[in-house]
Amino acid sequence: MNYPVWYLPEIGGGLLIALIAVLHVFVSHFAVGGGLYLIYAEKKGLREGSAAILDFTKRHARFFLLLTMVFGSITGVGIWFIIALVNPAATSLLIHIFVFGWAAEWVFFVVEITAAFVYFYMFGRMDSATHLKVGWVYFISAWMSLFLINGIICFMLTPGSWLENQNFWSGFFNPSFWPSLVFRTCIAIMLAGVYGYLTASFTRDESVRISMTRFSARWSLVALAGAVPSAVWYVAVLPEPAKELVLGKSPTIVSAGQWGVAAVIVVVALSLVFGFFRPTLNTRLTALAAMLGALVLMGSFEWIREAARRPFAINEVVYSNMIFKDDLSDLNENGYLQSALWVQDRDIGPEQQLTAGKELFIQQCFACHTLNGINNDLLPLTSHMSHKALVSYIGRIHQVRYFMPPFAGTEEEAAMLASYIATGLHGKEPVDTADSGTAADPGMELFENQCSSCHAAEDLAPGTEEMEQAEIVELLATLDELSDEMVPFEGTEEEAAALARYIYYLNERDEAPPSPTDADGPGLFESECAACHTAEDMAAMLDGWEPAQIREALDTLDELSDEMVPFEGSPEEKDALTNFLHSLGREN
Amino acid sequence: MQPFIPSADTIPVAWGWFQFLLLLTFPLHLLAMNAMVGGLAIGVVLHFRGGDTRSQLAHRIAVMLPLVIAFAVNFGVAPLLFLQVLYGQFVYTSSILMGLFWISVVPILIIAYYGAYLYDFKFKGLGPVGKWIALGVLLLLFCIGYFFSNNMLLMTLPESFAEYFQHRDGSLLVSARQEFLPRYLHMMTGAIAVGALFVALLGQFRARDNTELAAYAKKVGLQTFFFMTLINAGVGIWYLISLPRQQMLLFMGRDLGATVCFVVALLLVIGILVSSFRQRLAVTLAGIVVLVYLMSFLRSWLRTDLLADYFNLSQLQVVPQYSSLLLFIGCLVGGVICVGWLITKTVTALRQEAGG
Repeated sequence: MNYPVWYLPEIGGGLLIALIAVLHVFVSHFAVGGGLYLIYAEKKGLREGSAAILDFTKRHARFFLLLTMVFGSITGVGIWFIIALVNPAATSLLIHIFVFGWAAEWVFFVVEITAAFVYFYMFGRMDSATHLKVGWVYFISAWMSLFLINGIICFMLTPGSWLENQNFWSGFFNPSFWPSLVFRTCIAIMLAGVYGYLTASFTRDESVRISMTRFSARWSLVALAGAVPSAVWYVAVLPEPAKELVLGKSPTIVSAGQWGVAAVIVVVALSLVFGFFRPTLNTRLTALAAMLGALVLMGSFEWIREAARRPFAINEVVYSNMIFKDDLSDLNENGYLQSALWVQDRDIGPEQQLTAGKELFIQQCFACHTLNGINNDLLPLTSHMSHKALVSYIGRIHQVRYFMPPFAGTEEEAAMLASYIATGLHGKEPVDTADSGTAADPGMELFENQCSSCHAAEDLAPGTEEMEQAEIVELLATLDELSDEMVPFEGTEEEAAALARYIYYLNERDEAPPSPTDADGPGLFESECAACHTAEDMAAMLDGWEPAQIREALDTLDELSDEMVPFEGSPEEKDALTNFLHSLGREN
Repeated sequence: MQPFIPSADTIPVAWGWFQFLLLLTFPLHLLAMNAMVGGLAIGVVLHFRGGDTRSQLAHRIAVMLPLVIAFAVNFGVAPLLFLQVLYGQFVYTSSILMGLFWISVVPILIIAYYGAYLYDFKFKGLGPVGKWIALGVLLLLFCIGYFFSNNMLLMTLPESFAEYFQHRDGSLLVSARQEFLPRYLHMMTGAIAVGALFVALLGQFRARDNTELAAYAKKVGLQTFFFMTLINAGVGIWYLISLPRQQMLLFMGRDLGATVCFVVALLLVIGILVSSFRQRLAVTLAGIVVLVYLMSFLRSWLRTDLLADYFNLSQLQVVPQYSSLLLFIGCLVGGVICVGWLITKTVTALRQEAGG
């Protein structure tokens, strides 16, 4: 809201960040671990008096230079460019809080490139001891770059006590700083080994190829062994919401995690084969397979880290859509369009419904959702939602899906956004938002409001075909047991019964669906039972009863007590009363 | 209409520190960028013209090109950082308004950089194709300069920010404005002039081994510098009169500091024109370093004045965190020592190599 949004609806900034970032970290971590690898490869060559190994090291240094100096350093600048374009608010905050951290990192960058050039261009042209010292200067400065950037990146995920004191050091040495540093160092060393396979696979001298393949495998395996506990440590220090997302609540993280595990298996398997069984199997193809595995591992890690931060760009400070958490209540009260800077037309009359809605989409949704793009396309996600469903969903979006930022604005603005999505994007009939009206079927309305953001009605029918209404009521109360992404239905008993009835009749039934108003469970209880029974008494009495038992008992009430007569309502009324009675005492 | 200017974030130390660091590091970037663009431009001309000495000099330029690209990029990081701290609300906005072009700097630079390495590593093997690759790299670098000039001009034009609503895809450029072309040409012509001095300096490396090359490099470098600086003085005047009248007068008495700096810079230009004409490399080199600093100060004065109606640096709110500045200073001192050690060891090894 403070900055304009770079709007490329079919592409989305997230995809551009991911593309640049994943490739960059794959190279930049190699730039750290690879430096150490070069030192020890050179030492090995010197120790063994092997000109061939020294030649290998020099060739590897050349490859290292070409990859890290050009692609690594420019994509590093590229990340800075792209995050400033996609989320200037968060970037500006990071730059301003940590300016001297960035500046110190720049100093190490200067030392790093100077040392890299000296190491490569002076290979074999200065005494070995000095040359190795140059290698150490390179590695230490590269690792210090990692150290500094790590503090700032971790701050985004776990700002820790900075939230209270705004102190540079609290932000820098935040809760995930150390586990992340150890993990990234291990990954950097693992990558050094994997990249070593590649250079080794291009080596003609078979003895050197075998020797350096084995050497590289040791790096990969030892580093991976260190990476596993540090990853566990990393997850352990995450704040609860992020931890829950990582441990299964976010489907995208679960998917990324599976890719990551598969990649680890590939790298470990190839490293074991190369290191202990058949180093001769390190060919260009298998080396590339190991590289690909490492790339997927890196991508998976970065994806998980980024996704775990959601809905924030900086945890608890600024959301992914550049809205500051502290501004939320003001925006909800005064309206987003009246408060944001980059709004073309602040008029929000009936004629501006769609344009205002589009503005809200650009400023609040586009940070994560594209239109017809490959990344998180909003169109299929909302195609089955009505305007009403969208309004309801937008209002509860953060509660339903924690990883999405809350909508910032008034209810009127939420309706405008819904109009833009339903009418502007999907071409559905416009709805007069002023006329809330009452739906003919409260169950359908509840379904639209509470369920349709994730489920199409026809998709639910097969799963509930064999169920009675009372069972559906029971199911609604335990939705969290079906999936981590769902929460139990939180409406009243009457609403649960209405929703269950709607879902029940999504399938073809023997009897025609009743008019919703005819089968009013609570109303029937009030008129038929409440004269003698309170709801609390009934809840205690029916504890443990199955719906079928209750339904049967309604027809044989005279057998329970001489004072009662069988309930004489229609089957629909009996169902409704059964549902209501069964739901008593189960609302929690 | 009220201009669209985002609110600024707080800064951890007084703004003067950032201004000092910006003005300290930006000329370093300019010098490296000039060596990169100007050095390559001269290398391309030499390569196309052909001949033994010219080819040898072009080869030397090719060998140095990846290194100067690395340092041009690296020395650009610090001033861009400090610029974002001081003027983030303007430069983030202008970058978004031209986002498509701004982000394209990254792939263009990667291609140019790999082209430079190819030109270096395969200089002889590429044969006649090499000079075309070098020309391609040069054009890409000119293109990057064009985008930078656009952004640096656009950030000083908050009244243009409302054009965002017609360019939400980041396709806005301001190259049609009257001050753009002289500004861009002033920067690029200056780059060729300073790059020529870099070429002259390159020729002096191991001059005793190749006196002909050293003499030729010096002659070509200083002559090119002389003529390009002469041309650039004209372009500079064009740039000055293309500015809004208020800003033009800034250097003509409206602001005493800016005027004095401008006059000193003009006198220095005359001085280095004379020294280059007399083939005095060391004096000209020293003069150009000072001149680049002075020109950076003038540029900063201009930016401050262009934004004066909307913002001045003293409005930035300071939330003191001076200990983080100490971290940077400590790292800087350590970094300078390390780089000094690396250079010393390299020079020693090269001397031993030459001696042996």
